[in-house]
Amino acid sequence: MAAGSEALSYADRKSGSQVISLTGRNAIFRALCLSSAILVLAVLAGILIAMFIGGWPAFREFGLGFFTGSAWDTQNDQYGAWPAIAGTLSTAVIALIIGVPLSLGIAVFLTQLAPGWVRTPVATAVELLAAVPSIIYGMWGLFVFVPLFARFFQVPVSNLTEGLPIVGTILYSRSPTGLGVATAGIILAFMIVPFIASIARDMLAQIPTVLRESAYGIGCTTWEVVRYVLLPQAGVSIIGAIMLGLGRALGETMAVTFVIGNANRLSSSILDPGSTIASRIANEFNEALGLQMSALIATGCILFLVTFVVLVVARLLVARMKAL
Amino acid sequence: MSASPIRTQSIIGHMDADDRARVRLAVKDLNFYYNTFHGLKNVNLNFYDRQVTALIGPSGCGKSTLLRTFNRIYSLYPEQRAEGQILLDGRNILDPSIDLNELRSRIGMVFQKPTPFPMSIYDNVAFGLRLIERLPKADMDERVESALRRSALWDEVKDKLKQSGMGLSGGQQQRLCIARTIAQKPEVILFDEPTSALDPISTGKIEELIEQLRGEFTIAIVTHNMQQAARISQFTTFMYLGEVVEFGPTERIFMTPEKKRTQDYITGRFG
Amino acid sequence: MNAASPLPADTPPAWGRVRASRRIADRILKVSATLFSLISVVVLFWILGMLLVQGGTSLSLDVFTKITPGPGSEGGGLVNAIAGSLVLTLLGIAVATPVGVLAGTYLVEYGRGSILAAVIGFLNDVLLSAPSILIGLFVYTLVVQPMGTYSGWAGAIALAIIALPVIVRTTADMLGLVPSTLREAGAALGAPTSLVTQRVTWRAAKAGIVTGILLALARIAGETAPLLFTALNNNFWFSPSLMGGVSNLPVTIFQFASAPYENWRQLAWAGALIITVTILLISIVARYALRKDIVR
Repeated sequence: MAAGSEALSYADRKSGSQVISLTGRNAIFRALCLSSAILVLAVLAGILIAMFIGGWPAFREFGLGFFTGSAWDTQNDQYGAWPAIAGTLSTAVIALIIGVPLSLGIAVFLTQLAPGWVRTPVATAVELLAAVPSIIYGMWGLFVFVPLFARFFQVPVSNLTEGLPIVGTILYSRSPTGLGVATAGIILAFMIVPFIASIARDMLAQIPTVLRESAYGIGCTTWEVVRYVLLPQAGVSIIGAIMLGLGRALGETMAVTFVIGNANRLSSSILDPGSTIASRIANEFNEALGLQMSALIATGCILFLVTFVVLVVARLLVARMKAL
Repeated sequence: MSASPIRTQSIIGHMDADDRARVRLAVKDLNFYYNTFHGLKNVNLNFYDRQVTALIGPSGCGKSTLLRTFNRIYSLYPEQRAEGQILLDGRNILDPSIDLNELRSRIGMVFQKPTPFPMSIYDNVAFGLRLIERLPKADMDERVESALRRSALWDEVKDKLKQSGMGLSGGQQQRLCIARTIAQKPEVILFDEPTSALDPISTGKIEELIEQLRGEFTIAIVTHNMQQAARISQFTTFMYLGEVVEFGPTERIFMTPEKKRTQDYITGRFG
Repeated sequence: MNAASPLPADTPPAWGRVRASRRIADRILKVSATLFSLISVVVLFWILGMLLVQGGTSLSLDVFTKITPGPGSEGGGLVNAIAGSLVLTLLGIAVATPVGVLAGTYLVEYGRGSILAAVIGFLNDVLLSAPSILIGLFVYTLVVQPMGTYSGWAGAIALAIIALPVIVRTTADMLGLVPSTLREAGAALGAPTSLVTQRVTWRAAKAGIVTGILLALARIAGETAPLLFTALNNNFWFSPSLMGGVSNLPVTIFQFASAPYENWRQLAWAGALIITVTILLISIVARYALRKDIVR
């Protein structure tokens, strides 16, 4: 490096006795920075390796059947991940179904509709919601939301749908306590909204004013401007933001553990209790031994791979917008 | 500096005998505020049917601001407001009861930068049309083609109508925006420095196009380029510090300006 | 002078061609977007209100002076859990800060444009959103299993891993905002990158980097899942060596919140209030620090 060698001669002239020259110090500093950066990679790789090694006994024992098996039997040491996988996916899907319109609505409100004096407090509130710890959402869910949900949604819906084909299967709840997969999905929706909304807002705000004005300029309503011009223009980055939310919903633990009911068997009704990979690990890991522990780590491995793929795609999509 | 209403009679007097142009857009005692800043002061001005009127003046004189009152695009920003009257064929478009979506389909606008929408070339043109009219596919195709032909773009894009409008060159994009605007059959078209982001050749094409469009539309164009104003407009308004200093047929404004400030600006002594 | 026809223009179409369906769709968007925003604000205040009502009535001097009660015993406080949380969080930040700042520095000052830096920066963002419970599992297999015991160290490492990507990202972003003319001015004096970085670039980005550290602090202060299998929790004062379970606020809240004992539930609410107020305050301070930096 040219600047480095000049500095070296300068340092030598100034104090020849100096043990470590400036160039040497630069090399040390550079090595420190590089190894810190490599540590980030090492941690990620370490998580993957640890999950795989820890889960290997379960993968080896049950093979592909581990993904499809529904048994979770500690007496006979039979484990299948399917109920937890299904719970993880269904809570995340419910969270997206509710959370995406909410998030996009908030992003549109903040960028298109809100007058200046409303915008700042609402934006701050949304960002503070992102800072509220997961366990607090869990408490709010369990003590505030669950009773209301049981009384005003679960009980009436169960009464209505009892015995009906399909609808009854999905929505009838045997014990309408308010706990269940749907409740977990709704709480997750509130938790992912701040993340999706703030990225979507940034993306909409980045779109040049003149494009927005020309859409209004041909007589579009706000809905038409948003639907046909702004959202397509933000395009894949909005999908990236949604997938970031999905990544968060898949791995969220504490709030889900509070409200999902923690049932090991799989129910066909989303109003019945269930479990996710994360909630099951949180509940059982400390008491787990041998194959059960390995099975839990194996489900963690599945969760890691799924969220890794989701997050990589999400980041690629979001980064594409920033590069434009 | 005079803020008195323009004497329409004297302007007509300058025109050819058979040019009994009708006033399409009449600005009466218009004041514009940006928060507390007084951006336009008692503007009175007429725009004539199927004539090009150029708005010139130094940066910040209010020429773009004035243009942006005609389709009320300024109302996207709550801190901006206009007082007075702007009559489109006698109807006050500053009236709160005016439907802005409809107003903007009647008074089209082309912006400083090309702004193709994120959709195909065909849809870019058809989009605005679909907002106001429901047409069968064949009629729609015909209207899109006609708008693209009149924007001198058809031959360049007829084989790639399904491709994205973002893939065109800057000049083509701007002509696409013009096609999009004229497809709606507006009564007035506003051009806000439409060539400021374009190279000289694309600029020439746009100017030619404006010349042709004059046969159909009433046109107002903001430009910082005086040669452009001289080339394509029939009327010119010189503005300074939010006021209309002088208005008249382009020839007269450029050859024998009445006000000293107009002369100074046109001869390049300031601005 | 011009080619305009002397005939009057075609009569323009009558007004009123904006279809009602367009207006309805627009109205639906505006009402629902406003409503959704209102919902999010309401949820925030609902959560805060719940914490203030439930937690406020449970707060007392005991909370800050007595240790967590065992099952069935009366009264008690949270002092050991609060102290444990402070120790774990600060240890986590103390580990994550130097590593994170140096890694962020590498990405911008040394690796800019290199594939390695791009990959690390990208995977750092993935780690940023990785499920925290998996980080707990990782540290369990990495630290707890080999040592044969839960420990505060394991908890602090887990928290450090969660804080790390936050600090890397903000450091890299903030260094990226420092104008390159500053670096060039330093290099023109013959100073190597290390000296320019330490004396000039870091200083220019100081407020931003501190904000990142504060955000990381806010992020890990309430983390519960990664502590479940690392620091665990218990109802005693932790040993100064941090070996064995170390009491901490989040896990205490988790265990107490739905417990059958009234005093446990009260303490869970008090803990929830303390932790949330702390985190929100840190977030607000971080935001304020950053805003000041941008204005300057």
